[in-house]
Amino acid sequence: MRRVWLVASREFMSAVANRGFVIGLLLMPAIFAGLFTLAPRLMNRPGEQIRGEVRIIDSTGQIFDGLRTALTPDAISRRRLENTRRALDNAPDAVRDVAASSAATAMERALGAAPALTVVQRPASADLQQEKSWLTEVRPPDAPRRLLVVVHPNAVVPKDGSTEYGTYDIYVPENTDERIETTFYDGFRETTLSARVRAQQMNRAQVEAVMRIPRVTSTTVGLGAERQTNVRFNRALPFVFAGLLVFGIMIGGQTLLTQTIEEKSNRVIEVLLSAVSPLELMAGKILGQMAVSMLVLVLYILIGLALLSSFAMLGLLDPLLIVYLIVFFLVGYLVFASVFAAVGAAVNEMREAQSLMMPIMLALMAPWFFAAPIGRDPNTAFSVAMSLIPPVNTFAMMVRLASTTPPPFWQVALSIAIGLVSAFAAMWFAAKVFKVGLLLHGKPPTLGTLIKWARMA
Amino acid sequence: MNSALVLRDVRKSFGTTKAVDGMTLTVPGGKLYGVIGPNGAGKTTCIRMIMSILFPDSGELSVLGRGSALEAKDRIGYLPEERGVYRKMKVGAFLIYMAQLKGLSAHDAAARVPGLLESMALPGTEHKRCEDLSKGMLQRVQFIAAIIHQPDLLILDEPFSGQDPLSVRLLRERIEQEHRRGATVLLSTHVMANAEEMCQHVVMIHQGRKVLDESMIGLRRQFDPQTIHFEPLDPDADPLPLRAVPGVERINRHEGHFTITMAAGVDPAGAIGRLAMTLAPARVELARLRLEDVFMRIVAEGAAGSDAARALRADLVTPRTEGAFV
Repeated sequence: MRRVWLVASREFMSAVANRGFVIGLLLMPAIFAGLFTLAPRLMNRPGEQIRGEVRIIDSTGQIFDGLRTALTPDAISRRRLENTRRALDNAPDAVRDVAASSAATAMERALGAAPALTVVQRPASADLQQEKSWLTEVRPPDAPRRLLVVVHPNAVVPKDGSTEYGTYDIYVPENTDERIETTFYDGFRETTLSARVRAQQMNRAQVEAVMRIPRVTSTTVGLGAERQTNVRFNRALPFVFAGLLVFGIMIGGQTLLTQTIEEKSNRVIEVLLSAVSPLELMAGKILGQMAVSMLVLVLYILIGLALLSSFAMLGLLDPLLIVYLIVFFLVGYLVFASVFAAVGAAVNEMREAQSLMMPIMLALMAPWFFAAPIGRDPNTAFSVAMSLIPPVNTFAMMVRLASTTPPPFWQVALSIAIGLVSAFAAMWFAAKVFKVGLLLHGKPPTLGTLIKWARMA
Repeated sequence: MNSALVLRDVRKSFGTTKAVDGMTLTVPGGKLYGVIGPNGAGKTTCIRMIMSILFPDSGELSVLGRGSALEAKDRIGYLPEERGVYRKMKVGAFLIYMAQLKGLSAHDAAARVPGLLESMALPGTEHKRCEDLSKGMLQRVQFIAAIIHQPDLLILDEPFSGQDPLSVRLLRERIEQEHRRGATVLLSTHVMANAEEMCQHVVMIHQGRKVLDESMIGLRRQFDPQTIHFEPLDPDADPLPLRAVPGVERINRHEGHFTITMAAGVDPAGAIGRLAMTLAPARVELARLRLEDVFMRIVAEGAAGSDAARALRADLVTPRTEGAFV
C-alpha cells in the first residue's frame, strides 16, 4: 500500500507540477471565454458603411415619404437599438443590465455605421424593364446603385373584397451586400404598418398593446425555496454535466495512456518492476491520475459555480447533482482508466494504440449523441437502457440526473452498482494485460491478443 | 554460509525458443559471481526470473532464503539491462523516489544522494533533469538507484555496456566496494575480460544451459594456459635459441614479442628463468587466463564448425554498442 501511494503521488506531482498542466488547465476556460466574447465580435465585424442609391416605384402613392424618413441613418440606428433591446429581454438580468447601458455605442461598433442611402422616387408609370437596366448600367463608384423596389398597389389597403395585403418586389444588382435588403425590409415594415393602421382608423400603440403577450417563466416549486424556472438552463444542464464527466475521464485516461507508453518505451519500467509489482504500479498510476482529474474537475466546478452565482443563478442548481457528478466520475473513471492503462501497457508507441483506442473513444463520444434525446425524454426505455449498460451507463445516468425529470433512486443505485462491477472487471482485465504486456516489445497486439493475455496470466 | 540464490532445474521457453533450459545454480552469500555468455545465451531471462519479473515454466527458485524475489524486494538491488529514467524528473528526485520504493524514508534517501552522486563522479547533478545528462552519466545514476538502499543482494545485468573506460573503472570500484560491505553480487556480462578481472566465481551460459560453474582460482588451475609472453630487449632478436630451452613446445612470433607454449606439466616459474637466461628480455610474463579461451574450449567440444566458433568469438570480444538504453 505504501508503494501504491508512492507511485500515485509521483504520478500526481509529475502531471501537476509542470507548465503544460497549468497552461492546459487555463486553456479550456480561455477557449470558452474566447468563444463567447471574441467569436460574436469577429462574426459581426462591422463591414463598410453601405451607401448608394435606392429607387422606389410606389404603386400605392401613400408610403414613399414615410419610407424615405424610415431609411435615413438616424431612423435605421434607432430601429437597430430597439431590436437589440428586444433580444436582450430574453437574456439574464445581469447580461441585460450590462448590455443595455452601453448598447448604443456597442451597436455602432458591432454593426458599423448605419447605411447612408439616397432614396429616389420613380413614377408609378415607369417602365419596369427600363428601370431594371438602370441597375446593370456601369455605375459610378461613389454612388453605387443598390435597390429597385416596386411596392405592390395593395400594400396599404387590400383590394376590394379581400383581406390580403400586398408587399413589394425587390431587384438588386449582382454581388449585393444582403444587409441592405434587411435594412429596407425593416424600414418598409415600420412605414407600411403605420400606414395600414392609419387606413383602418386605428391607433398603432393600441394595436401593438393588443397584440403583445410576453412569454412567461414558470416558477419551480420544490421542498426548499421556490425559484424561477430557466428553460435554457435546464436544457443545457445535461450537456454540461455529461461534458464534465467525459472531460474529467479523458484528462486522466489520456495521461495514463501516454505515461505508460512512455515508461515502457524509455525502459524505466523494468527498474520500477524490481521495486513494485505490476499491480501496485497500475493501481498507483490509476489513483495518481484520478487525483489529477479530480483536481481539474473540482476547479472547473468551482469556476462554474462562481459564474452561476455572479449571474445570481446559483439557486437553479441542485447541489446533489455535484455529488452525483463526483460519484459517477469516480465510477466511470475507474472503468475507462483501467482500459487506458491496459492499452498503454500493451503497445510500444502511441501510433500502435490508435486501433485499440477506437472502441474506447467511441464509448467516450457516445454522450454527445445521446445527451439530447435522453435529456429531452429521460424516462424512455432507451434512456433507461443506456443508463444501465456499461461502459456508457455513467454518462447516460448523469444526463438523466441533470434533466428536468430525474430517474427513480433505485435506478441510480443500480447504475452505480453496475458501474462498480464493470470497474472491477475492467481492472481485473487491465491488471492481467499490464502484467504480461509491460515487458513485451514486439509487434503491436490486437484486441484478441489482449484477451489471450488476460486468460494466460 | 547461507545461499543468497538457489535455482533448481529452472526452465523458460518463449514459443518454441528454449531461453533457459534446465538451469541449476547456487550462489553463496557474500560472493561476487559473474554470469557470462554470448548475446542471447539466456542471461537476461535468468536474471528476470530471479527478479520475479518473468516466471519460470518449471523449476524452483529461492532468493535470500525466500521463495521469490517479491518477498525480498527491499533487500535486492537490481540494474536491468534495459534501463531508463523519467526524462523530465530531476536526478535527485528520481533517486529518492527509487529509494523510497525500496523502503527507505524520504529523509534517509535524501541524505544519501549527494554522497553517492559524488562517488560516481556526478557531483552537483542532483537538481538537473535526467534528460540533460549524457547517456554514460545516466547509466551511473541508474547504478546508484540500484545500490542506494544498501541491498544484501545486488544483481547487475550488463552493468558495463555502453560505458567509457573511466566509467567502467568507477563502476568496478563501486561494485567491489558493495561486495566488501557484504553484499552478494551477481553480474552478467558478455565482455569476459571484465568478469575475469573482478569475479570470484564464474558461471557460463550457452544456449540456455550452464556450461561452466567454477571459481576463478579453480579455473586458473584447470585451464592453465601454459603460455608465456616474451618480449626480447632487441626487437629483431632471433627466437631460435629459445626453442632449445627444455619444456618449450611451440613459439609464435608476433610484432615485437613471442608467445611461447609450454609442454603440459612443465613448471612455468622454472621455464621463465631459463628463457630469460637464454635471451635478454624486456618483459617476460605468464599469460593470464582468458575466459574467452576457456569458453571457446568448452563450446568447441560441442560446436559444429569452426566458422560458428569464430563468429561466436567475434561476438564475445567485441563490446556491443547497441543495447544501452537511456
